[in-house]
Amino acid sequence: MNAIAAEWMKARTLRSTWWALGVAVFVSLGLTLAGAGTVVARWAGVAQSPDQTAMGIVVAVYVGVILAQLPLGMLGTMTITGEHASGMLDVTRTATPSVTRILLAKAAVLTGASLAVSLLIAVPGYVYGRFLAADHHPSLLPAQVWPVIAGGTLMIVVTTLLGLSLGALLRNGAAATAALVAIVLVLPLVARMLPWGEVANRLLPAIPALQLIKQMPPVMPDAAAFAVLGAWGVVPLAIAAVVMRRS
Amino acid sequence: MIEVTGLTKRFGGAPAVDDLSFTVTPGRITGFLGANGAGKTTTMRLILGLERPASGTATVNGLPYRRLERPLTQVGALLDATAIQGGRRADQHLRWLARANGLSARRVGGLLDLVGLGEAGRKRVGGFSLGMKQRLGMAAALLGDPEVLLLDEPINGLDPEGIRWTRDLLRSLAAEGRTVLVSSHLMNEMAVTADHLIVIGRGRLLADAAIADLVRPGGSLEDAFLDVITRSEA
Repeated sequence: MNAIAAEWMKARTLRSTWWALGVAVFVSLGLTLAGAGTVVARWAGVAQSPDQTAMGIVVAVYVGVILAQLPLGMLGTMTITGEHASGMLDVTRTATPSVTRILLAKAAVLTGASLAVSLLIAVPGYVYGRFLAADHHPSLLPAQVWPVIAGGTLMIVVTTLLGLSLGALLRNGAAATAALVAIVLVLPLVARMLPWGEVANRLLPAIPALQLIKQMPPVMPDAAAFAVLGAWGVVPLAIAAVVMRRS
Repeated sequence: MIEVTGLTKRFGGAPAVDDLSFTVTPGRITGFLGANGAGKTTTMRLILGLERPASGTATVNGLPYRRLERPLTQVGALLDATAIQGGRRADQHLRWLARANGLSARRVGGLLDLVGLGEAGRKRVGGFSLGMKQRLGMAAALLGDPEVLLLDEPINGLDPEGIRWTRDLLRSLAAEGRTVLVSSHLMNEMAVTADHLIVIGRGRLLADAAIADLVRPGGSLEDAFLDVITRSEA
């Protein structure tokens, strides 16, 4: 717990943290509100059930939430590459000799930050969406919306943690950010043009996430999508811990 | 108490630290001398668990550093004072460090005054001179009121007043019965500060003796140091 408290203190005493969080919340919230407006406007004169309406709002909101993943992923890389660049990681390690504990503490703080960001976007987005769609009498949170909420939230947490892992492995902010963008955004597009791309894409984080927030037809069971996505949060972190321990 | 036994570390080719053994005992200032590249910093990093040795052991109060509970309460270290993120204020830097070992932040203000930073403690570290960063590094080393102090070139960049202040501080820490290992390549400074000397060259132990035994009457520490080095190379 001491290590987590220390990492939280470190994070909140750097202006770059607040810039990343601010950009993540305000840009994504703006786009979420605009997106919700567009989606709800399409429903004019369409008859749909209260559950369908609630689902439509939640999906629109979580498409907005995952837009925050790049600033958050960069925050993830910065929390470790900033220490590599300055050399301050040595000071951190004299206070907390276990690099695994340091990485887990950073991961805990980043998980908290990305959960907070997702709620700061989703809650106002949802309330606004319900306000716009009041004529359709949306139900509150029917069972079908929870996989969307869980999937969108997991995606944003995973991208943030992946930023941390890549930063720990590559030790350079620019390289880690480039790798993050490649894995999350570029490779899924490239893979679509390659012979084994369909298979590869099921193993990259983007497709499972898009499936879970209902932005593409399902290509695997939801449980598999959650597992692939979750693995992108956990496995690179474990590799980073092993590599850092050896050095 | 610091005990180094058969410590060896290689970075690729020739060993940076080569079968090094010595003991640093409490109650006196032990100077750690060596030419540039002799392996002083690597040895200190090995003691702090920041590098893994190829063979041998280094212990602090009987345990390898990585196995110490709340290490800042047992060992205070100052390696590279410039290895610090510039975006935080000095007091914030000390606060997170204190938090990492469950220490009260109450000492932070007093320590900033003690090292002569005072009001500058509320400023961002990025604007600090090397001397100010050394003072902050000293405050960080003292944060947990440790029994053992490991200081790598702590007077680099300090003004004469800062050098004298550091010397007096180290003397009072040793007088309180603490173990103080301080590296330097400044002979004159070591001659007036240290009680005991450990001299290394190319990662090997060249001398481990009281200052009085190393320096001939009328000679300087510089002569004695170069003497030891020359003999080792002959």
